[in-house]
Amino acid sequence: MQPNPIRKIVIVGGGTAGWMTAAPLALRLGRSAEIVLVESPDIGTIGVGEATLPTIRFYNMALQLDHADFIRKTQASFKLGIEFKDWGHVGNRFFHGFGDFGPSLNGIAPHHYWMRLARTFDQMPAMENWSVSSIMARENKFMLPTDAQPGVTDGFSFGYHFDAGLYAAYLRDYAMARGAKRVEGTINGVDQHPETGFVTALRLADGRTIDGDLFIDCSGFRGLLIEGALKAGYEDWSEHLPCNSALAVPCARVEPLTPYTRSTAKGAGWLWRIPLQHRTGNGHVYSNAFTTDDQARQDLLDGLDGKALDEPRQLRFVTGKRKKSWVKNVVAIGLSAGFVEPLESTSISLIETGVGTLLELWPDRDFRPELAAEYNRKIGSRYESIRDFIIMHYKLTKRDDTEFWRYCANMTIPDSLAHQIELFRETGRITILDPDSFGQPSFVSMLTGLGVDPKRYDPFVDTVDMRELHGHFAGLRDLIAQTVARMPAHGAYLEKVAKTGRMP
Amino acid sequence: MQLNPIRKIVIVGGGTAGWMTAAPLALQLGGPCEIVLVESPDIGTIGVGEATLPTIRYYNDLLQLDHADFIRKTQATFKLGIEFKDWGHIGNRFFHGFGDFGPPINGRPAHHYWLRLARSVARMPDLENWSMASRMARENKFMMPTDAQPRITDAFTFGYQFDAGLYAAYLRDYAMARGAKRVEGTITGVDQHPETGFVTALRLADGRTIDGDLFIDCSGFRGLLIEGTLKAGYEDWSEHLPCNSALAVPCARVEPLTPYTRSTAKGSGWIWRIPLQHRTGNGHVYSNAFTTDDQARQDLLDGLDGKALDEPRQLRFVTGRRKKSWVKNVVAIGLSGGFVEPLESTSIGLIETAIAKLVELWPDRDCRPELAAEFNRVMSSRYESIRDFIILHYKLTKRDDTEFWRHCANMTIPDSLAHQIELFRATGRVTILDRDSFAEPSFVAMLVGLGVVPERYDPFADGIDLRQLHGHFASLRDLIAQAAARMPDHGAYLDRNAKAPKPA
Repeated sequence: MQPNPIRKIVIVGGGTAGWMTAAPLALRLGRSAEIVLVESPDIGTIGVGEATLPTIRFYNMALQLDHADFIRKTQASFKLGIEFKDWGHVGNRFFHGFGDFGPSLNGIAPHHYWMRLARTFDQMPAMENWSVSSIMARENKFMLPTDAQPGVTDGFSFGYHFDAGLYAAYLRDYAMARGAKRVEGTINGVDQHPETGFVTALRLADGRTIDGDLFIDCSGFRGLLIEGALKAGYEDWSEHLPCNSALAVPCARVEPLTPYTRSTAKGAGWLWRIPLQHRTGNGHVYSNAFTTDDQARQDLLDGLDGKALDEPRQLRFVTGKRKKSWVKNVVAIGLSAGFVEPLESTSISLIETGVGTLLELWPDRDFRPELAAEYNRKIGSRYESIRDFIIMHYKLTKRDDTEFWRYCANMTIPDSLAHQIELFRETGRITILDPDSFGQPSFVSMLTGLGVDPKRYDPFVDTVDMRELHGHFAGLRDLIAQTVARMPAHGAYLEKVAKTGRMP
Repeated sequence: MQLNPIRKIVIVGGGTAGWMTAAPLALQLGGPCEIVLVESPDIGTIGVGEATLPTIRYYNDLLQLDHADFIRKTQATFKLGIEFKDWGHIGNRFFHGFGDFGPPINGRPAHHYWLRLARSVARMPDLENWSMASRMARENKFMMPTDAQPRITDAFTFGYQFDAGLYAAYLRDYAMARGAKRVEGTITGVDQHPETGFVTALRLADGRTIDGDLFIDCSGFRGLLIEGTLKAGYEDWSEHLPCNSALAVPCARVEPLTPYTRSTAKGSGWIWRIPLQHRTGNGHVYSNAFTTDDQARQDLLDGLDGKALDEPRQLRFVTGRRKKSWVKNVVAIGLSGGFVEPLESTSIGLIETAIAKLVELWPDRDCRPELAAEFNRVMSSRYESIRDFIILHYKLTKRDDTEFWRHCANMTIPDSLAHQIELFRATGRVTILDRDSFAEPSFVAMLVGLGVVPERYDPFADGIDLRQLHGHFASLRDLIAQAAARMPDHGAYLDRNAKAPKPA
């Protein structure tokens, strides 16, 4: 036994980040450490629906959540990817699906072969026809991956859309059942050790103090501890990502229940549409330097496909990253560590990474700065890879219908992203700087979807006989179409889950 | 079909790098492409034996080499790792084995649990007792890992020690059987395109010219094309790695045939010992700023455990890396791309990486600079991770018996390595900056072996009952010892399965 184990963990903030942090800590440490989550009764969560990446499944599995129970309790639907509309140019439509465009051939990614065929055959169908998730999405189908038809029924992945408020509540019950305690109160003071600067206690408005060894700041944008107390600093990325506002509103569910998120580019930003079982989450992310809040609100309401269920709620944000998200005995997880707009549903995955990395580097009460340095290195690299991926969505536009899009087309971009774009444009290759972030198929989807047509493909592709290759692609496309046609409708599949309480 | 496929590849240099490059290119491109290797009759290879990393097996598998045939033709032996003697401090001995120190427990690496036991239990045996490879090496045992064995006995991997000259000859036959051509000649001139600067042809002393689309520079240290013609520049690392000379000599084989390389630290460098089937390769890597060539020669000869079979041959080198190893239509592979002393047998591993990357990024005749940029990014990251790993061997010395070791102990080191050492010293954690390079068990073996005792271990290692943990380690150790005892001797195993003929 080492002398200084963490005995008490204090989590500040009871939103998605707070409870997503509390749940695995309660599972892993519930018996050896006290876990207290301080939640303000005044601050609500927005709860219009949130979309995730497939990695959420690893998080849920680590908690051993019951799959069907989780879906029922959070009004979840399945997510096969994101449909992009009017991105690149007005009238454009493409799908960023979870999974590749078919299996690799001779170790070479399938898009290279498709590019060869597309140059040879006049009416080569769009590459999406070889993406199982894209075809399932187009047909509003869903079933869990199986090995029934290798290369097809196991050729896709999925995440969820769920009500983030309900997910937080679900994890709150999970965490509290494993010993985490919830304290309601408004924090109005933070005590620090006079010499070390470590946070020693929180002071609540009603006079209580809450002491602890490790403080996890899940307080959102403001970063009550990481910035307010410890002045970690913030790296502002708005030069490359000009959106700074969001309006969110739920509307009534419409049929069919789509197994994907939709993102529709607008004159000064974009709209999200996230289908849940009980309603649809909607929002408008925009820059108030290029449009007015009133106009943005009108664009949002005009775009709804169901009856609005509430008044739109507004957020302001500065896109960027906390310079250090672990300082002394404070670790920031969630929006307190950084904010990137929800264009690729990365917020929850960044929470997963934050909690996962914190557990991997779990400190003792000495809080060695080497652990913080390693944590900040890893988290920093993840944020930057996501930043690059999101900037790409804007930078590659051919839209010049508004000042906003002209700004995006002309703005400077990080060198790492410039290398990615030029490499693909010239050679069809992808560089992966963070192997735990978006993979090659995601970059290929976005780059081709946004209209980058590579000048070259991998020359090894030419070593395959053309007729054989064409036959292979035609056969695979038919197989995917036929297999997907037999899958259940997404809405019907979820109804079965809801009725039976188990996965079909 | 694209417009500009590479039609002719010219490889400059017929050493290990040249033929290791020619073989997979002949396999994959031997039909559509002409492959010519230009070899100087004047330049011999040293051929005292070369050690590899386990990755060599992927390379051999790709070529579909017959395992036993390869071993026989190259006088190969198996390599389970490296024994380090007198590194850290005089009298020190430890093993850097290929494989882990037992399986992780609850997802945490085993060494953390060992660190806990070492503090709690009197006379806890060395960490090496839980490394299958180390145990086998200690007893001079070897057999191939098989699925039939219990898990623990599969927890090792292996490379080879072979005669690099014979390996090159073996691959030469392989490549030539698949269409590669060998040209003997001395290069006296290089033609470049007047506008683009691309290399267009080599001029030989006998008046012949050899044109080509892609030139691969395997000419060794001097970098005939990459530096001589294209002035890529060289990054000198001798500030951190002061050795600049080597003396190599083969000696007679002695018994037992050890399944590992030995590295023995000396006053101003270190001596390698690489056992082959027909003889033992030996060498002394040293800095001539701290000792004389004569003394180094004497140290080498004094250290031989068999009769010297030749006069020691000398090399001078500058440790470092070509700033760009791909420039225009020239790609440097092998020593022309950079040189790091053979302390961790990385030379051949770097050749494998470069070839694999080149094939992955295979260009057209226009050799787009974006491909070169990606190649150079990946290669520089690999070289730097290896550089850091090697510097660690020197920096962590506690020896102060010579000026050389005092210099090493006090020299500056890259920030990335300082982070690695401090992270491990403070917390027992290892950071992995390049996932395709040395992994956690390698860092742990070296750091612990060189005497770094972490101040802490992963606090989760306290989550298990101490008696139970102790029992687990004790039985694992017994299991490993028993499994090793049942294995055949390395020499006998080779005799039975792949005995090489006596050289003429």
